[in-house]
Amino acid sequence: MQIGFYFDQSRCTGCYACVVACRDKHDIQDTHVSWRRLIETETGAYPGVQLSYLSLSCCHCAEPACAGACPVEAIEKRTEDGIMTVDRQSCLGGDACGACKDACPYHVPQFSTGGDDKMQMCTLCRDRLEQGKKPACVDACPLYALDAGPLEELQKKYGAVKAVKGFAASPKTKPSIIFKPRY
Amino acid sequence: MAQQTDSEKIVLTTCPHDCGGRCVLKVHVQNGVIREIETDDGADPQLRACCRGRSYRQHVYSENRLQTPLKRVGKRGEGKFEPISWAEALDTVAEKLTHVKNTYGNESILYLAYSGNTGTFLHNQLSVFRLLTLFGGFTPIWGSCSFWGSLFNSETTYGTVNAGHTSDDIPNARFIIMWGWNPAETVQRTTTAWNLAKAKEQGVKIVAVDPRFTDSAAAFATQWIPIRPGTDTAMLIAMAHVMITENLHDQKFLDSHTVGFGAFKDYVLGASDGLPKTPQWAAAITGVEAATIASLARQYATIKPAKLLTLGAPGRTAFGEQFHRAASTLAAMTGNVGIYGGEPAAFNLPAVGLQPLAGTGLISRQLSGNLPEGARQRPAIHITKVWDAILDGKKAGISSDIKFVYVTNSNAVNQFLNSNKASRALQEPEFVVVHEQVMTATARHADIVLPVNTHFERNDIIRPWQGGPYYIYMNKIIEPLYESKSDLEICCELAPRLGIEGYSDSTEDEWLRLFWKEAEKFTDSKPLPDYETFKAEGVHKIPLEKPAIAFVKQRENIAENPFSTPSGKIEIYSQKLEERATPGLPPLPTYIPAWEGIDDELAKKYPLQFISTHSKRRIHSNMHNNPWLRDLEPHTVWINTADAGRRSIKNGDMVKVFNDRGTVLVAAKVTGRIMPDKDGIDRGGCANTLLKDACSPAGAFCGNTCLVQIEKEIQTAQTV
Repeated sequence: MQIGFYFDQSRCTGCYACVVACRDKHDIQDTHVSWRRLIETETGAYPGVQLSYLSLSCCHCAEPACAGACPVEAIEKRTEDGIMTVDRQSCLGGDACGACKDACPYHVPQFSTGGDDKMQMCTLCRDRLEQGKKPACVDACPLYALDAGPLEELQKKYGAVKAVKGFAASPKTKPSIIFKPRY
Repeated sequence: MAQQTDSEKIVLTTCPHDCGGRCVLKVHVQNGVIREIETDDGADPQLRACCRGRSYRQHVYSENRLQTPLKRVGKRGEGKFEPISWAEALDTVAEKLTHVKNTYGNESILYLAYSGNTGTFLHNQLSVFRLLTLFGGFTPIWGSCSFWGSLFNSETTYGTVNAGHTSDDIPNARFIIMWGWNPAETVQRTTTAWNLAKAKEQGVKIVAVDPRFTDSAAAFATQWIPIRPGTDTAMLIAMAHVMITENLHDQKFLDSHTVGFGAFKDYVLGASDGLPKTPQWAAAITGVEAATIASLARQYATIKPAKLLTLGAPGRTAFGEQFHRAASTLAAMTGNVGIYGGEPAAFNLPAVGLQPLAGTGLISRQLSGNLPEGARQRPAIHITKVWDAILDGKKAGISSDIKFVYVTNSNAVNQFLNSNKASRALQEPEFVVVHEQVMTATARHADIVLPVNTHFERNDIIRPWQGGPYYIYMNKIIEPLYESKSDLEICCELAPRLGIEGYSDSTEDEWLRLFWKEAEKFTDSKPLPDYETFKAEGVHKIPLEKPAIAFVKQRENIAENPFSTPSGKIEIYSQKLEERATPGLPPLPTYIPAWEGIDDELAKKYPLQFISTHSKRRIHSNMHNNPWLRDLEPHTVWINTADAGRRSIKNGDMVKVFNDRGTVLVAAKVTGRIMPDKDGIDRGGCANTLLKDACSPAGAFCGNTCLVQIEKEIQTAQTV
């Protein structure tokens, strides 16, 4: 079973509630690190501009490039639900290594610049899932533009669109995320 | 409030900020320390919080929090202070107040307070209001930065400010125009953006008219009509021209429910002044193509029901009240008044729950006490004239020179127009005292700064200032940090020093119980829960069977339910305005070209129109320096791609934005999301350095009437 994300780009207004909710829940004080990022994409020229946002954390890929690239096997994928985990004890750190970030097509792995530079990224709020709750980002969105759960169920509910403006589905890593596009 | 363990609990509160929302914050506290903030997870509609409320613990625990009273040691405005005791601080403030009163009179005390706490029952500007009233009076300010033009119009045209519909009525419309209205970023009530998303997904056509392609336009609108700031009235009047000449207006409704349409028709068609207000006429003024104007008019007139949604931005201009007058007139012409899915296009305050203005009146009467014998309310100074009043005093036509400035709930130096003049003005009074949480531009000009606590450190009750069918109990989360106190506590300690008895005979809890009891008188739907139940639940949502909308009775039977206007009808032509005969306030909605607009001589020197919008990661200047918010996006001035190209400005470059009133150094966001010849900085980020301290004839705050030039900053050119 693979837990994944759904992002409704057509509804997302770029409000940052998900970004801050994630930071707050995981108490990430270093603002250079953001497990969930909001990426603005503007295309076209005035007055025919188009604007869309992408709210993205880790895609918990079916075939994660990060795990493959890690020289000390600090990154693993859980068999029961496909959630990615990082052993920060074994991790060599961003300065000394950083191979995972280079390998990831979405630049997901994050390293703090202030002290502990072991890799950190979205945990799919495993503790909340265990309590039957949704991840913090999902419950934060005022437009209900995010969802998370078994990928098959998400696909049944929302369809199987794999790419949107700002996000190309990597055929190599097979990200566990589906979308509703704005354009 | 769920008690989990003895050391861990979840406490419910909200934010009292001057945004348009009022959302639920569920605060996790562990061993007396705030650990996490969640939001509403209860019954629909959920009141989900924005990034600002969710970042609040960073503000509470910020190293920038003022910890002790401060006394100025350098020059006023330098920002050099030393810590002093509360005893010394309060003794000094009381001594100075007394000296000024005895030497110059009460009217020399200016109370400058604004919206730092908005919608609260207890902890807000009324604490010091009451103190100074019992002290014998003071000179107050009047006006609204946000929406005076809209208030003025609502009273004039409909006889009331309760002309709004609750946000759940939005999906009932079949056509929506968002005119200078950006709820996705400004949060025009917590559930508005969600209701717009629902409407869009149900196939409602939504059009955005705005100088910027806002987040709201991008998310909800299928069409963006860029328009030059300050010209919106012309477009609305031209839309009326189309409706009239193509006979699309609702003549039956106009005959039964309005007065003055005949005179308006004459103006629009050019019968009264020889100038027909055609789409071609408006195109030259607004930059919008005539065909686009005509098409919008036809759609708004024929797709029913329809909402023309505004709040304040186009009205924050020279003659901004005319925009609102024209909008309400079009709503009447299309018959969109008093029906579900419609919209009177006046002040968007529904008549449900405790009316903010009535409630404020009640509470201010309670809190202000009766005025002592002989004391009278001094004439108030308009918010755009405060600095002139302080600089010129009697020469500016006010009754007294200002010798003492008392500031609470306001960062006026940053937020009122013309910041450089503000700084100069505050050199003049004998004494300046400021209540603040952090060192703001205004606090830097104080002689004494008194540290106030945040709303997480006290109890209160609140309702959405924009009206809305719920109340929230603002439970105290933690004890006040450092030596901070509430405005109310400070006043309780100042009162005896000022010889005032009976300032407050109640505890915080007793005041809240009293106000909660009183609130029921003003809540025109089902009864409210008792105080203990409400405090425990934290949110009381008033159940509505249907959306609460305005003017249903008037629509159904105007003879028995007239509007509260002199004529009893919707006043397209206002007899009151005709009698007042104020220049610039004609009795009909009229297009009047703005000073400092595109046709001004000044545009040769300063060719870019400058607007100040609202940031989605700040509330005015509140939490500008909260790193969780500040580091989401850089603070920028938006400049159109072509304008930037002509100036060799690339995205991220530091630029100078300047005019004769001042200069702002800021990073540039080069984008196609704003019209050419325009640029904009989010309000709360020093935009007022550039703005003229002028108001429209009815008192609208001209935040969006300004000309500037922009140049690349050569010396410090760096990418942000």
